[in-house]
Amino acid sequence: MRRAAGLRAPHPGALVALALAGLAAAAFGALIGAAQDRPSVLALDAYLRRILVFSLGQAALSTVLSLVLGAALALALARRRFPGRSLALAALGAAAVMPAIVVVFSVVAVYGRSGWLAAGIEAAGLAPRPNPFGWPGILVAHVFLNATLAARVFLDALSRAPAEHWRLAAILGFGPRATFAHLDWPILKREAPGLAGLVFLLCFTSFAIVLTLGGGPGKATLEVAIFSALRVELDFARAAMLAGLQLAICLSLTLLLHWAVTQAPVAPTERLPIARPDCADPRLRLLDLVVLALGGALVLPLLAATLEGAAALPRVLDGDLARAATTSVTIALVSAALACAMAIALAGAAQAARERRRGRLAAAYDVLPALVLAIPPFALTAGLFLLLRGRVGATEAGFVLLPLVNAIGALPFAYRFLAPALATSAERHGRLAALLGLTGLRRLAIVDWPVLRRPLAGAFAFAAALSFGDFGIVALFGGAELRTLPYLLYERLGAYRLDEAAAIGLLLVAAAFALSAFATRMARC
Amino acid sequence: MHTPLRPSPAMRLALGLPVLAAALATPPTPAAAQERPTLTVYTYSSFVGRYGPGEAIAERFEAACGCDLEWVTADDAGSLLGRLRLEGASTRADVVLGLDMNLAAQARALDLFAPHGIAPGPLDMPVAWQDETFLPYDWGHLAFVYDTTRLETPPESLEALFTDPEGPSVVLQDPRTSAPGFGLLLWSSAVFGEGMADAWATLTPRVVTFTTGWSEAYGLFLEGEADMVLSYSTSPAYHRSVEDETRYEAARFAEGHYLHVEIAGATRTTDTPELARDFLRFMLDDGFQSLIPEGNWMYPARLPEGGLPESFAGLIEPGEAFLFDSDRVSAERRALIDAWLEATTR
Repeated sequence: MRRAAGLRAPHPGALVALALAGLAAAAFGALIGAAQDRPSVLALDAYLRRILVFSLGQAALSTVLSLVLGAALALALARRRFPGRSLALAALGAAAVMPAIVVVFSVVAVYGRSGWLAAGIEAAGLAPRPNPFGWPGILVAHVFLNATLAARVFLDALSRAPAEHWRLAAILGFGPRATFAHLDWPILKREAPGLAGLVFLLCFTSFAIVLTLGGGPGKATLEVAIFSALRVELDFARAAMLAGLQLAICLSLTLLLHWAVTQAPVAPTERLPIARPDCADPRLRLLDLVVLALGGALVLPLLAATLEGAAALPRVLDGDLARAATTSVTIALVSAALACAMAIALAGAAQAARERRRGRLAAAYDVLPALVLAIPPFALTAGLFLLLRGRVGATEAGFVLLPLVNAIGALPFAYRFLAPALATSAERHGRLAALLGLTGLRRLAIVDWPVLRRPLAGAFAFAAALSFGDFGIVALFGGAELRTLPYLLYERLGAYRLDEAAAIGLLLVAAAFALSAFATRMARC
Repeated sequence: MHTPLRPSPAMRLALGLPVLAAALATPPTPAAAQERPTLTVYTYSSFVGRYGPGEAIAERFEAACGCDLEWVTADDAGSLLGRLRLEGASTRADVVLGLDMNLAAQARALDLFAPHGIAPGPLDMPVAWQDETFLPYDWGHLAFVYDTTRLETPPESLEALFTDPEGPSVVLQDPRTSAPGFGLLLWSSAVFGEGMADAWATLTPRVVTFTTGWSEAYGLFLEGEADMVLSYSTSPAYHRSVEDETRYEAARFAEGHYLHVEIAGATRTTDTPELARDFLRFMLDDGFQSLIPEGNWMYPARLPEGGLPESFAGLIEPGEAFLFDSDRVSAERRALIDAWLEATTR
């Protein structure tokens, strides 16, 4: 990492970037160090090559589908106002953060052999039975999670388009085609690389969804191999090397994406709600109707399937649940705060680099948040725990590592919401602030805060919802003292209580929905 | 939760949030109570969850030992082992309860466990017990469970299940991530020997999916995604006892069934070795064993005085019981998984 020139103190964002890189390096080092007694070579055998090809393929396809549908949904939602629109936006947010295990069971409830679709087909007197296992299940689940995310991010960006552009469009009498080409497309194009990188990484490292809905070991991800090396074979060196391989692949792809499309963000300005000139076009009206119907058909049944858990709700509402909810809320709040703080620092550093015409450095800051997703949380946690070992107990380590690892997981999402807002603020008030000599926290409080406030609330809610539903590393460190709601879900599932697990799943989705509704209100899109 | 939770200062500091501190803090204990020794037992989560036997076991043991029993949990047996590997000699565990025989060699290799030094006496298990490090506390047969209202004639042998192309669909667990999933691999190796890979290749088209763990597979089966699921011969007892539901049965296979034996051991690093040994002894007493059948849905390692509960009547009684030596399992693990990977991805 190149340091800022001159005598200037390093930007807090640079420190965050260094800290993240340091954490990752330390975790890898600790894993490899702990494995000295078990020399292991990473043979890229036939199986690994095969799942690599599969992973790349499914992640690429999932990404393209998610971005296309997400963009179409965002445009339709930007053009149309209809009753229940804000609920639809909240549903998008809730879908985007739904825990993997809940998504798996929802996909099966809707598209499974005995699911709703099968019942419908049977009622219609048709023969073929749906089979979601394999490509269909993986794609449906990934597009469900990521098209909704893409739609939210795109819509956010579209609603920040400069008012001057729209005035100009109205004066020039833009038709729907010109509106898309000159107004919407540049915005979508600007958001797409970062978003594509994020979605690709999410799909490339997807674990439970690919393993369970994939239908066989031929459809797996590197994450599965890392998990089994780490937990089953206890072969830390192999885990570290596989994790390194995953990181290298993701790094090259992310850099490629950014190198292919690197543009300075346009300068969005606050605007009053504007009636888009293309709203009245009948063909677009039809298109939007189709897109919204398609989006609804994908998202609503899978969300509705979680309602099956309602029957067992009375049985899960007890002291255990209250304690688990308290722990979950606390961890979610801490990790969301941490994620947002890191995102602001990194985005600030990127902005500062851009102002000094250091484009590549700025791009590095932009890439970093998504890249941390390539570090398998299991490997990161295991490595960090090895570093803490002997200094603190496992449970105490869990209390530190859980919010930290969750915050790192939520960072790229928070960054996607916050970085554009900081860019806006810099564009609007940057020169004045520089003239007045406002820097650091004072600048943040006086100049950036008014612009940042709303996206920050949105990012915070999103990060909290994401962390709220995370199971990941709780599997290792959960326990009587550290029992989150997802942990409780698995505990009930392990005791034959499928219905109670579904009820806890419903609570997780309901919490995500509430947080998302709040974020939507704050974003005003 | 029976066991009081005591957050350490480090933990409160780390969180710095009064909410959680308040939620977890316990009122100060009197000095006398603080002198009670604490026995820390690691186990998997469902053992001490709302429906597991853990809480009752703690009450009974505490009544006799004049100590506090603290449960510390990880998600499942695999996580338990992973956590021990990470903690190494700094582990707080005095006793680890909930590993299975297939993990025994790897657990032993951690060099964390001490010989139990207990003569277990007669056990009610299909195999003789000789292990000097671990003692069993419950066991069950791996078995394929089916819904009698949907599958009228289940296969009568593992061979029929694997090789009949018209056979029922199954949902299985991935042997890389799941204990019963790996157990089936051993079972198939015991039955098919050299022909194991080919047998898997013929079964694969009828495998709906391989899940991460037992829970997901059993859930998918209950949702109606497959005709049969790999579980335990005792699973139908749960449905009979709790749900009053008799439609689920386990299929008895002619070749015999692989055993799933759950074990416990005391750590070498414990500061209360006597107490740990007392717990292992207690583990084979009626007070512990009587809680196992309908708490953990497995067979007790030693039948309690009252025998088995009613819900266990009518469960299948397999002929031969397979259980490979744990060193052999450990030595063959990689090769078996590689063979399975090759066969299922042909």
